[in-house]
Amino acid sequence: MTRQYEAVYVFDSTLEDAAITEKLGRFHGLLGNPADLQTNHWGRRQLAYPIGRRESGYYVVARFGAETATLPEYERAIKLDDGLVRHLITLFEHEVGAPPMTEEELAMANRRREAEEDEDEE
Amino acid sequence: MIRRPTKTCPFCETRVRFVDYKDDRTLGRFITDHGKILPSRLSGVCARHQRQLSTAIKRARYLAIIPYIRGLQS
Repeated sequence: MTRQYEAVYVFDSTLEDAAITEKLGRFHGLLGNPADLQTNHWGRRQLAYPIGRRESGYYVVARFGAETATLPEYERAIKLDDGLVRHLITLFEHEVGAPPMTEEELAMANRRREAEEDEDEE
Repeated sequence: MIRRPTKTCPFCETRVRFVDYKDDRTLGRFITDHGKILPSRLSGVCARHQRQLSTAIKRARYLAIIPYIRGLQS
């Protein structure tokens, strides 16, 4: 079964850009180079807290559709990689998330809230 | 009788479908100065979005996008 995933990689900022591209190519090769792969390079940015001695990291966000059976091998390769400080693979939830609220639902939620407040005051 | 001002959920107002863990500027509005998650009773976020928000904040913390704790100099 193919599902949409989103992966965020935080690479060691001391790595060369070419090395990062090479690593990304290797990771995505394990997924069979998905056709709908989109990568967004945020570049080097300050970490919110130091991780080990590192103060900054190179962020890459990738979005792809992959077969569920190919994921364990891909995750194993990511875990063993030394150049990667942090990583997070999530289901791309914009796809599976709840639909946006309609005008009616919003109005109903507001009415309900007001009714509850009236009860509180009594 | 004093009526409490009604708060509407900031995410519902802007028709947000899913709270994004990569958006540090939005998440920053819903954490305290120390980096704690702001309770929905203060921010007015609805239950559905508060659940999404708390997961998003925890993911962002793990990725070092927002800090676990702030304002504590040792």
